[in-house]
Amino acid sequence: MGQVGARASLIDGAVKVSGRLHFTSDGPMPGLAHGALLLSPHAHARIVSLDAGAALAQPGVIGVWWHENTPQNGYNSAIWVEDQQLLADERMFPPVLRHVGDRVAVVLAETAAQARAAALLLDVRYQQLPPILSHAAALAHLGPTTDAGGAPSFRNPVQTAELDHGDVEAGLAAAAHVSRIRVRTPRSHHCAIETHACRAWPEADGRIAILSPCQSVFAVQAVVAQALGIGAERLHVIKAPIGGSFGGKAEPILDPVCAFLALQTGRAVQMELSRHETFIATRTRSAIDGQMTIALAADGRILARDVDVTVDIGAYCTGGGYLPGSMLQRMVRLYAVPAERYRGRAIYTNTLPSGAFRGYGSPQIHALGEIALDLAARDADFDPVALRLRNVVGPGAIDPWQHLDLGNARGGDCLRRGAAAFGWEARRAAPAGQGRFRRGVGVAAATHINGCFPGEDEATTATLGLMPDGRVSLICALHDLGCGSDTTIAQIAAEVLGLQLPDIAVTTADTDTCHYDLGTRASRMTYIVGEAVRQTAEALATDLRGAAALALNAAPDTVILADGRAVAEDHAIALADLARWLTGRGTALPQATRTHRATANPGSYAAHFAEVEVDTLTGRVQVTDYLAVHDVGRAINPMLVEGQIHGGIQIGIGYALYEDVAIDPRTGKVGGDSFARYTIANAPEMPSIRVLLVEEGEPTGPFGAKALGEIATIPVAPAVVNAVNHALAARLTDLPLSPERVVQALVDRARAPGAPGAP
Amino acid sequence: MTGARGTDATLRLRVNGAALDVRANPFDRLSHILRNDLQLTGLKEGCCEGECGACTVLMDGRPVASCLVMGFQAEGAEITTVEGIAPPGTLSGLQAALLSLGAVQCGYCTPGIVMAAEGLLRADPAPDHAAIRHALAGNICRCTGFDYIVEAVAAEASRRAALATGPDPVPAC
Repeated sequence: MGQVGARASLIDGAVKVSGRLHFTSDGPMPGLAHGALLLSPHAHARIVSLDAGAALAQPGVIGVWWHENTPQNGYNSAIWVEDQQLLADERMFPPVLRHVGDRVAVVLAETAAQARAAALLLDVRYQQLPPILSHAAALAHLGPTTDAGGAPSFRNPVQTAELDHGDVEAGLAAAAHVSRIRVRTPRSHHCAIETHACRAWPEADGRIAILSPCQSVFAVQAVVAQALGIGAERLHVIKAPIGGSFGGKAEPILDPVCAFLALQTGRAVQMELSRHETFIATRTRSAIDGQMTIALAADGRILARDVDVTVDIGAYCTGGGYLPGSMLQRMVRLYAVPAERYRGRAIYTNTLPSGAFRGYGSPQIHALGEIALDLAARDADFDPVALRLRNVVGPGAIDPWQHLDLGNARGGDCLRRGAAAFGWEARRAAPAGQGRFRRGVGVAAATHINGCFPGEDEATTATLGLMPDGRVSLICALHDLGCGSDTTIAQIAAEVLGLQLPDIAVTTADTDTCHYDLGTRASRMTYIVGEAVRQTAEALATDLRGAAALALNAAPDTVILADGRAVAEDHAIALADLARWLTGRGTALPQATRTHRATANPGSYAAHFAEVEVDTLTGRVQVTDYLAVHDVGRAINPMLVEGQIHGGIQIGIGYALYEDVAIDPRTGKVGGDSFARYTIANAPEMPSIRVLLVEEGEPTGPFGAKALGEIATIPVAPAVVNAVNHALAARLTDLPLSPERVVQALVDRARAPGAPGAP
Repeated sequence: MTGARGTDATLRLRVNGAALDVRANPFDRLSHILRNDLQLTGLKEGCCEGECGACTVLMDGRPVASCLVMGFQAEGAEITTVEGIAPPGTLSGLQAALLSLGAVQCGYCTPGIVMAAEGLLRADPAPDHAAIRHALAGNICRCTGFDYIVEAVAAEASRRAALATGPDPVPAC
């Protein structure tokens, strides 16, 4: 009791802040061998020959593996369950390399330094092939070859998604204003401070154990089994503490190789990427090139939208084929639009693969939709907040694509409360200034999903049991990515059971002890897993009350659980004493297992307000004030909710202003391949942030809670871009708003016909 | 960790108050020696090029990125890592503030943040928010957005000021 709504500190916070938490590569492990990769220097090349002689002669080197002596099973690193039907176009070590950073070979040695030094001695001859590095080239081409035989195995586009809802042509014809806007978003990188790492070792029973900082142990199990061509039951996967993921560790990159080496050599093996390798050889947020035509009525209603999006998913399918559909799903849940046409396509290029990154397509489609809507508002002379309020969906709305009830959708409340708290009208009307520094304010709204329903069997199973010491164990495939979800989940259990947080013994995900779970993805942790734990806690509470009623000689319905005790009127028994009493009678301690299967996917909503100052001389943009308003249903832990929002804003400001993987269109080389060349928002660049929570409750969520993790970053980039466009009266639509782009926009405007002083 | 290697030699280090002899290569980074030879794994090697700050330690009381310090450059200096900032099983006031004010999420950058902020507070006992943000400019945190980190460091500065002057010190934990 008193747990839901409490600003509780992380249950694993003390070990984190003292540095005692062992991440994957921290714990001592005798006899650990180390693997180091050789990565492709070419965007598209066939390996003609590989001579490992010099590397094998080095001290400490155990072996070298590449495509000729490793399993060549096709796999897809984005599957989350065995037998999932997704194009299996990855190989641990492909004979034909498809992007700069693709895996050529691995060296195993006694130390990491020996392995890395030996990898540099591998003598590889490559036959370079023409790379596909632009959208236009991709759409005109069959695609890169996948095997040594050279036969094209697929065509672009990889996958498409389409929607035809209502009469778009009639909407366009009836409109008072029509705006057509093109928005391009860059590749961006997760920048988790822990680089990718993995350990694998043979277990006594012949299985291979994998310790992985992952988002789903069952996904790791499925992917590694597919890659190695072995049964998943031969793999025991344990979730390691994770030093940040944001989707970047959703797909196992090292795990298949690490498990293969352990299986092959019988050694315990560690692999750990360098920062550079993490930049060029893992995953990115996909880039999009999007066009949106918006038809507005004279009263501000959106009559129709016509949307075309090309998504560059890079060199392997992974989950990229889902992206056009994911973007469509998110796009149609924000505004009530009577007519929508959507054409989305995912294309291959010879660039590093895309994958999950906080929002899974949502930041991209919101950048398009919210920047375009802002410019449409300007074209038609509408206030951006008023225009959004005119069109935002309300509670109980049904989306036009999946026909799902969007639940207690409170986007309108976010906009209204935010505009009032931000002082929107006065600040929007204030002059931008005439000097070197210009000031502007911008707004963006957003929505995001709550879990995978209806696309997946959205189920979670949890077990809660009384322990002999009176605490309660929670067994569930929990994957805390650092956001504090273990703490939130424990708060939910403690609330129901009348316990304090230390009374809940939380275990992390392990394929040996947990029921199958989709893991941490799709903003499903609090809404789905939290609800499963709440229901399980209710079941255990019923059992505890029944047992306590016997011990107290009371009627079960008079027993309440509070402060670690079962209380019946003037009698009470501590749960530890109840456990002893039950054990003394030879009775098993109460335990409950429940499966929660979601049948809803309500929307979470947000409105963000940004103020920026733009230096017209240098093009530098500083975010000077920020307000985030979120429809969270109910905040289980407001401190962690605010922390999620703050972090989401940081990633979003980087997306708007700095971050670009910057793949060279001629060579395919990654420009943003280090923290020196991939700029993110650090402490000095971050504004102080105000957060307002709309807590109107979602009936299908635990204690009314809805998802938050991903949506926190989704409206940020458009809010910042809209503020810059307001400050400069510009139409910047290509992210990030680098100083060069900002200065170019000012130059272009000064030269435009009709501009003061223009030729 | 790759490339030219010198000949291993005995390196005399003072770490967290203890004098230690380590066999080390002249090309070994201090961060590597602390993590791999002394098992002080609280510090993390997030980039090995001085950009992320996860390996920050105090060298004679001043924060340094230990990946940019060769082990033998640290000979004769007093090195303090996160393991030496508070007695085992306890948290320093700064650590307690970071935890209770929500400034910790995944925890990977946190030891480096602790050391950078500790170095700041030793040099400037009353930093304003801008000074705190500037002092943390070399530490990347990808989870928190820095707001609560800045607040926690400011709160700890206030607590220390109260400890130094007031009759009723605020407890650290």
